[in-house]
Amino acid sequence: MKNQNRGQIRIIEAFLAVLIIFSSLAISANLSVTQNTKASSGLASIGLQVLLKLDSDGSLARYIDNEDWHTLRDSLNLVLSAGIAFDLTVYNDQMQQVNTDVVSNGDFSSQDIAFVEYACASQGSDFHCYIIHLYLAVAT
Amino acid sequence: MPAISVDTFFACSLMVLLVLSAMAGASKLLYPHISNAVDANISERYGSVSKYLLLNDGKPSNWGQDYEATLQDFGLAKANSDNPYELDIDKVSRLNNENLYAVSYAQMFTAFQMSDVSFRMELEPIFEVVLNLTAAFEGANETSYEFEILTEKQGIPVQVELKCYVIAENYLEISHAGVSNGRTYANKTISNDVSGPALLIVLAKSVSNPKIVSFSAYPFAHNSAEPRPRGTFLRLSPLNYTLNVSLVSLETTLSDAYALSFNGSSTLTQTANSNQSATYDIPHFRDPSSTLIVVAGWNSTSFFTEWTAYPQIPLQTGMNFESTAALSNVFAWTYLVSIELALYKCTVWLGGPRE
Repeated sequence: MKNQNRGQIRIIEAFLAVLIIFSSLAISANLSVTQNTKASSGLASIGLQVLLKLDSDGSLARYIDNEDWHTLRDSLNLVLSAGIAFDLTVYNDQMQQVNTDVVSNGDFSSQDIAFVEYACASQGSDFHCYIIHLYLAVAT
Repeated sequence: MPAISVDTFFACSLMVLLVLSAMAGASKLLYPHISNAVDANISERYGSVSKYLLLNDGKPSNWGQDYEATLQDFGLAKANSDNPYELDIDKVSRLNNENLYAVSYAQMFTAFQMSDVSFRMELEPIFEVVLNLTAAFEGANETSYEFEILTEKQGIPVQVELKCYVIAENYLEISHAGVSNGRTYANKTISNDVSGPALLIVLAKSVSNPKIVSFSAYPFAHNSAEPRPRGTFLRLSPLNYTLNVSLVSLETTLSDAYALSFNGSSTLTQTANSNQSATYDIPHFRDPSSTLIVVAGWNSTSFFTEWTAYPQIPLQTGMNFESTAALSNVFAWTYLVSIELALYKCTVWLGGPRE
């Protein structure tokens, strides 16, 4: 009777071993999160560079000062590749939303969304500081 | 056989089978992640290298203007610029093989000092202008031509302001073609006393951002034979705001030369000439626009026009990765760059041996 129980214990050991191995597989599946982070950083880099270029001659702050959201949206549409969806929100230094219109070119159905925060200042006689939040995604 | 032996054999077999299948499953599941992790590291490194190409001004820092200097470190940024991603107009022009002073890929690769990285660059306007001659109406004294002007980015119409120039023998017509929503038509009427071939040049400026510009040229027959391809008669090499004109044939004589931008135009004055070349000064327009340079002349008795842009774009230079894509890790990045107030699109491909 004792010898027969020893065999059953080994079967239970086998199942425990399998449980441990498959749980390690389940943990390793989370590695894919790292890949998404890498892809997002590429989009964020593109977004930051675009905002930097639009701001280099004061155009970006001028659009905001003039509340010319349509032109700002057209400019972003033109300088970003056709396959990139964007959504931009402008805040003042009190973190109150400034843009009254939506500055976006589509919906964000992609899971891979990049975020860029950018600060810019108007170059006119009245000093205004704006904080821009730009979300980018690969359009699907 | 005792029951315990059967149980133990069954348990051991089950363990071995499941361990092997788990190992196989684990390797299958993890391989793409491990492989992608390696690719991501290479991508990150190449991404930094591509930025270095555009943010570094090279050595000597004026290698664009000074074509006699030996290129020691390859970089395209404008020296002492306050703006990141601002490229030097002459360094860019020297990447174009049409330019007499173009640097070869071997020179660039050596000066780049990364023996395991090959590269390719393309520089072009952010949107394109397409010109089509749709109709011609020949009258007794003059001929009218109708052109379709398309302005689009990857097939999407772009709203622009347009400026047109028509050049023929002793003839320069300047007109503002108004605002286009992506497709418009322009009518050009030329007297039949004027000899061709004629050249239509269109400069376009985005309505939303005047720094986003593009251009195109369309040579067409007018009281003449069909125009010959670019580069048949002259090789135009703008550098350091000086235009070097190399004559392909000794039978060629030069007449007029023009510099055309969106908000200005100028007739160029010849500063030196020989039987094989001539030089002109190029004016420095304070205008966010490419400068189009047109040189007219005669080859024996045939009139011709040749044109180029300054900066000399669009251009493609470097390694061709199409044939080696299966053997290499190739990554591409697109940047928004500025050259003399105007914005352009620069794509950098970097590749190396697959690890």
